[in-house]
Amino acid sequence: MEFLLELLTEELPASHIRAALDKLEAGFRQELLEARIEVRSLKTLATPRRLVVAGDLAEGQQDREETVTGPPLAIAKGPDGALTPAGKGFARSQGIDESRLEAVQTPKGTYLGFKRRAKGTPTSEILAVAVPRLLGSLTFPKMMRWASSPFRFSRPIHNLLCVFGGAVVPTSFEGFPASDGTVGHRIAAPGPVKAVDFASYSEALRKSFVLVDPAERKVVIRAQIEAALAPLEASAYPDEDLLDDLTLNVEHPLVVLGAFPETYLSLPLEVLSTAMREGQHLFSVVRAGRQLPYFLGVADAPGDAKGLIRRGNERVLRARLEDARFFWDQDRKVPLAERAAGLKNVLFQEKLGTYEDKTQRLKKIAAYLCDKMGAAEVKAAAVEAAALCKADLVTEMVKEFSGLQGRMGGLYARQEGLPEAVADAIYEHYQPGSLEDASPASTAGAILSIADKMDSIVGAIGVGLQATGSSDPFGLRRNAHGVCKVVLDRRLRFSFPLLLDRVLAITGDRLSLERPAVKAACLDFFAGRMRFILEKQGYRYDLVGAALGPGLDQIVDVQSRVEALDALKSSPQFEPFILMAKRINNILKGLPAAKVNPDLFAEKEERELYSTLSIISSNAQPMIARGDFARAQGIIFKLQPVLNTFFDKVLVMAEEKKVRQNRIGLLQSIAKMLLGIADYSQIVVEGEKTAKSKASR
Amino acid sequence: MSVQDLILGLHRFWAGQGCYLAQTYDVEVGAGTMTPDTFFRVLDKRDWRVGYVQPSRRPDDGRFGENPNRVQKHFQYQIIMKPSPAAIQDIYVQSLRGLGIALEDHDLRFDEDNWESPTIGAWGVGWQVLLDGLEITQFTYFQQCGGIELAPVPVEITYGLERLEMFLEQKDDIYDLDWSADVSYRDLRLREEKEFSEYNFNAASVAMLRQAFNACQKEAGRLAAKGLLLPAYDMCLKCSHNFNLLDSRGAISVTERVKMISQIRALVNDIARRYTGGKDGA
Repeated sequence: MEFLLELLTEELPASHIRAALDKLEAGFRQELLEARIEVRSLKTLATPRRLVVAGDLAEGQQDREETVTGPPLAIAKGPDGALTPAGKGFARSQGIDESRLEAVQTPKGTYLGFKRRAKGTPTSEILAVAVPRLLGSLTFPKMMRWASSPFRFSRPIHNLLCVFGGAVVPTSFEGFPASDGTVGHRIAAPGPVKAVDFASYSEALRKSFVLVDPAERKVVIRAQIEAALAPLEASAYPDEDLLDDLTLNVEHPLVVLGAFPETYLSLPLEVLSTAMREGQHLFSVVRAGRQLPYFLGVADAPGDAKGLIRRGNERVLRARLEDARFFWDQDRKVPLAERAAGLKNVLFQEKLGTYEDKTQRLKKIAAYLCDKMGAAEVKAAAVEAAALCKADLVTEMVKEFSGLQGRMGGLYARQEGLPEAVADAIYEHYQPGSLEDASPASTAGAILSIADKMDSIVGAIGVGLQATGSSDPFGLRRNAHGVCKVVLDRRLRFSFPLLLDRVLAITGDRLSLERPAVKAACLDFFAGRMRFILEKQGYRYDLVGAALGPGLDQIVDVQSRVEALDALKSSPQFEPFILMAKRINNILKGLPAAKVNPDLFAEKEERELYSTLSIISSNAQPMIARGDFARAQGIIFKLQPVLNTFFDKVLVMAEEKKVRQNRIGLLQSIAKMLLGIADYSQIVVEGEKTAKSKASR
Repeated sequence: MSVQDLILGLHRFWAGQGCYLAQTYDVEVGAGTMTPDTFFRVLDKRDWRVGYVQPSRRPDDGRFGENPNRVQKHFQYQIIMKPSPAAIQDIYVQSLRGLGIALEDHDLRFDEDNWESPTIGAWGVGWQVLLDGLEITQFTYFQQCGGIELAPVPVEITYGLERLEMFLEQKDDIYDLDWSADVSYRDLRLREEKEFSEYNFNAASVAMLRQAFNACQKEAGRLAAKGLLLPAYDMCLKCSHNFNLLDSRGAISVTERVKMISQIRALVNDIARRYTGGKDGA
């Protein structure tokens, strides 16, 4: 039977809608599962004013057999097996024939009882309780109160439509009794709408200029964009985030194509598209990668026969572009170097100082990174870019459009005639903004990007601004992802702990926590982020753990390690080798370090293991040092047969202390070499998994 | 329709909704929210409905009369209704229809925008209202003011009069607007914009403004302690305006900015606490 729920509200933010729909779908599935009601289908939909759940559910719970228990059998029946007064009383009180009574085994003992069929509860009754509970449990990033109620929600609520099997569900939410009615589009058709099922609901709303399915609205928007642009042989500059938000911002999408005077095409593309996107939510129109003097907007209206929506948007955009052109002209009158002086008036963070302070640190960190990466040829450019990269924060353009920070500085640098490498580095230094965003294309840009983010992370952690749970006000996770992504994309090699030391030294007395503690916290934090990144790439969690085991000396090595483990995990040698490595670890657990003296070897097998190890180690070490773990691992597999023989023939825990210590020392040098590749003890192998899951049963 | 027709239209409409029509407050403020008709009246439990025009001074927005959209003083039409009526969005939509806007031909949108004013310890949740992409109104369910949780919750509707009028007259330059049948916005305001821009950015005496800030701050504390809360609050408004002027003169350093804003907020929160008669809002 069909279930339909619509909560009508005032306009919800797109991000709130997404969160609510996910929670509603999961919540209903969970509640119905627990209530043993079959869910044949269930979907959630939304407009800015409606949260909608529609589904096909069983009419009620399955009838089921249940056991009613009475007094303990010892009391209910006498030694002769006949019912005692207590036993008879139980039958009487339950209103059943004594012949239905039987012995019931429970964990507490044997009782007198009987079985009966329990009638299932109708779905409508279950929904009557579940609906207000689920709606009331929704939380939003920012909640509000309204009128005289202490209740909090995303925006004020106006109506509850809730029907099951064509009948209104007897329920209510926050004082709104459920009904089978709602209203149409706020402006185009505000009158009442009735619905008994999803088909009648969506059709009635369609007539009232509301397309309730976001997927359909998105298709409509795409089709209208295509139709509007076909005559221009142009396309909308792709912006999926904007499209997704607009889909959730309108009930009846109408794509509007507008134009602006060609003279504004002299503005950089970045400025044009930002001016369009921010505030007005417009798409840029391009042909062969070039901006055309047109824009696309998505209105919430049935049509624009008089062209008023188009003209209104054109007028607003023209004013914004006029502003942008004014900023562009004014800003270019002052060189970035001169402008950077104003950074002493812009606060970066209370304890970490101004952007002038940050700039001084960035110059030093960038120089250090150039030295350590052997990037001497870009050092001058990277340091100059570091000195200028924050100057655009005090330009009029960035004050107006903060999303252009960095890119604007790069554009102004190019206009000023600064070297290409400097302009590019400034332009790119906020990149990547996320794991999906591209890393800087230039080397100096990559270096400056890392320097900027490391300064922010070390500084924030050093003054106690950790990211916790869902709260990360300083964007530490985003910044750490940026650093890791740049390092991994370019496979950059530099010692990460030494970089931390350097940044800590440069930040110096501004930190409120002790340097060793900050360093440890940073290493921990980055290990966590690398785990997140690699697991997101699809690597098995235990392989990621093994790859992180040897530490974060080279960030890029963590990726190489997990790649090597992943490539080898299905080779026949892998499992036996892991088990062997674990065996070594188990033997060595808790033992103090011991030295190997080749003269003390008593058996042929241990001599052989020692010499094989020496050869393998001398071959593998250089590979490990340059991060070629796949080949190093391949060579190390060759230890396996020799080790097998060793364990077969040689007793490690020999009677004589000297011999025993020597053998322990031998195994320790193997363990040490292995830990250069991965921490194998973290890898779960097939045999172990079954053993473990059995044990836990 | 001229600016004054617009004002008269809004007056008539909101008077019809039971609003008392207040007169413009006579101390410089950055927004209509800051006048006593909003600030004090939202704090207590009593019902309240008010509408008024308030000049809003933002020294930093001065453009020497050369920008067609930006001015260092503009006019807001401010509505407060407490508690927020259930049908307030519909009422607001009617107010636009009442101005002769055929909304069927336009795109009216409630676009997420949460408002806050750190200086007076206030924030709210709501939207900017866009008409064909033009922001004409800030629509806010006030949650906190003077650091105090508001209950009942007032709704604040702030029309930007010049924006709305530019839409109504279909004009691209603010100075081309008609204030009345024969007085233009240019006649009334251009000279003021030029002179005040010069004052805000170049001529205002930093020393005098600093002295005034300090004197008003001291006075606010002294008056609040005596229980003279409305005069004390006026002093806070003066502090705020002096701060804005110092800011547009480029005379405020980073650390000072944070400090001065928190100084004003502390005074304002103290006044709000005393006004509501408790220490619980602390």
